[in-house]
Amino acid sequence: MESKLLLPNRYKRIGLILLIPSLALGILVRFFDFQFAFLSLRIGKSVINEKNIHLEDTINLTDELALTGIIVALLFIAFAREKTEDEYIAQTRLESLKWAVLINYILLLVATWLVHGLAYIDVMMYNMLTVLIIFITRFNYALNNSKKLFD
Amino acid sequence: MKNTIRIERAVLNITQQDLAEKIGVSRQTINAIESNKYVPSTILALKMARLFKKNVDELFLLEETD
Repeated sequence: MESKLLLPNRYKRIGLILLIPSLALGILVRFFDFQFAFLSLRIGKSVINEKNIHLEDTINLTDELALTGIIVALLFIAFAREKTEDEYIAQTRLESLKWAVLINYILLLVATWLVHGLAYIDVMMYNMLTVLIIFITRFNYALNNSKKLFD
Repeated sequence: MKNTIRIERAVLNITQQDLAEKIGVSRQTINAIESNKYVPSTILALKMARLFKKNVDELFLLEETD
């Protein structure tokens, strides 16, 4: 059975290799305010507002780079074909996706009621990645489980 | 639904891996079918029947609950 929308199997490894530096960069950006100087861009002219506060006129693209790396890496891992991508694996894939979406929104609902104020931005940030992370975890767990037993 | 795949496999003396390779699926699939966690498609059932030289309804049997 031909599964559409999947990448060749080798993308799983490419994704893992890409994930490591991207995640490291993401952690540096998020927790240590790290920025690559060469990724700073000037947007428009310097602006000084009526209270004499210098408004930001540059943006730094380090966080964009890190997030892009993490998302692309997770997509590669999640959408890489298994070595033998057959009907049972396709079903397990769908099942895991269903799980991931459901759990993701349950977590989001819980966080919505428990986390307030600025911290909620963090929730939104992690929530961008949780669908893929839960999917990858559940899918591989299920496949590993049905590899065991017997023989 | 239950099936006799494990028995037929024992008759031919082949492993789950051997069977998987012969009909072009993963070992997980054979394992899931044998442990009644997965009902294979008609195509897969026919391939197994051909390999074991049996009729499909000798390999797969309906149960009361089906």
